[in-house]
Amino acid sequence: MNQKIRLVVPEAPSPQSVDTTETRAVAKGGIRLGVLDNSKGNADHLLKFIVDGVKALLPVASVVSLRKDSVSLPAPAEILDRLAAESDYVITAMAD
Amino acid sequence: MSNLAQLLQASGASIEADGDFDSVNALMMEKGWGDGLPVVPPTEARVAAMLEYCDRPWDQPVAKIPPRWGEATPLRLAANAVMAGCEPRYFPLYLLAIEAMCEEPLNLYGVQATTHLCAPLVIVNGPVTKELGLNSGHNAFGPGNRANATIGRAIRLALLNIGGAIPALGDMSTFGSPAKYSYLVAENEDESPWEPLHVERGLPREASAVTVIGAECPHNINDHESLDGEGLLTTIAGTMAVSGSNDIYYKAQPLVIMGPEHARTIAAAYSKDEAKRFLQQHATLPVAKLSRDNIERRVKVTWKDRLPDPKPDDVLYAVQRPEDLLIAVIGGAGKHSAFVPTFGATLPVTRALKTEDGRLAKSVEDFRRR
Repeated sequence: MNQKIRLVVPEAPSPQSVDTTETRAVAKGGIRLGVLDNSKGNADHLLKFIVDGVKALLPVASVVSLRKDSVSLPAPAEILDRLAAESDYVITAMAD
Repeated sequence: MSNLAQLLQASGASIEADGDFDSVNALMMEKGWGDGLPVVPPTEARVAAMLEYCDRPWDQPVAKIPPRWGEATPLRLAANAVMAGCEPRYFPLYLLAIEAMCEEPLNLYGVQATTHLCAPLVIVNGPVTKELGLNSGHNAFGPGNRANATIGRAIRLALLNIGGAIPALGDMSTFGSPAKYSYLVAENEDESPWEPLHVERGLPREASAVTVIGAECPHNINDHESLDGEGLLTTIAGTMAVSGSNDIYYKAQPLVIMGPEHARTIAAAYSKDEAKRFLQQHATLPVAKLSRDNIERRVKVTWKDRLPDPKPDDVLYAVQRPEDLLIAVIGGAGKHSAFVPTFGATLPVTRALKTEDGRLAKSVEDFRRR
């Protein structure tokens, strides 16, 4: 019979995720759509398909499309501020 | 809190196992806690010995490691250090390296999760290198030295077990890298003709320090024939700029490792700053070496201000400014240097070994609990 020992767990648990799903009514004149291209190859194409798909399903009042220069780094504050000011919903994409 | 028995009462802090080596390793593999190699069982006694060299509260995170953003407490780090085979006196340097690589400029989230094959490279400077017996000479990146091998491995285990850089889940690297097992080295300050890396980066010479770089493996630069600094620098520059490198597409800060023999020859005619200027100016790639699509989709995006309409003879630089290039002297005898490209979207971080009250540590013994 093996002797039992106690081991210290080397793993960290995943932080608790927060449910951020929200249901909103579509504004009367249509939604203001924001698009953040992360500059990955083909992200622009993928986003165009998605925007076209959204337009086919919902009234869209405006689309603001912005692109960050670095694939890997967060978008700079001016891009985020503009998206926050001019969009009701923002779509971003990753692709390789 | 620094009472181990109490800490291990917390839910999920410890686990019971059959006590023999093979059973422990089978359990660790089953749980996914490791790098694929056998580990030293992180028993309470071994973890307690490791934590003797930690002056922080053992349950308070010193960093959060992406992409999982797991909390790196000294307790968890100590378990990983035991598993890697570290001596307890290595722990302060290990903890410092983890803290440094989690600083924002390194972009550890990107380094961990990218399809690129980068890993955090840790270069150690200062008195701690001799105190711990780190290898900075022959085969410094290779096997045979316990401190290099196990501190580097402990870092990787923390990146896996705490950070969640699990292959194909949190780490999407296309190839992975041998540097993802262990990637830690010391600078060969005794053989360097210039000031050491940590001094160049603003720390006092007496400081012990780590510099972390989101890096590829070293690429060798063989030059047995050049007899002067200009010749050697020309060869090094020729190795730095290649069309598939991330450094061509980012404002990167890559590393040139000079072997001591190359460094001495170059230093006869060049200061470190002058060598950097030469390399920055000569490590160039003609736009014609890139594909049409890369010119359209990369060059015109990244370098839109300098090259809005790139021509075939226009040049791309491996480093944009001389001060963006890092130079360290590492290795033993031989007419070799090496170039270490980076992930690109990452900046090196240098951090000094300090005690909890902010003093520069003179020795790892400063961290030992009395």
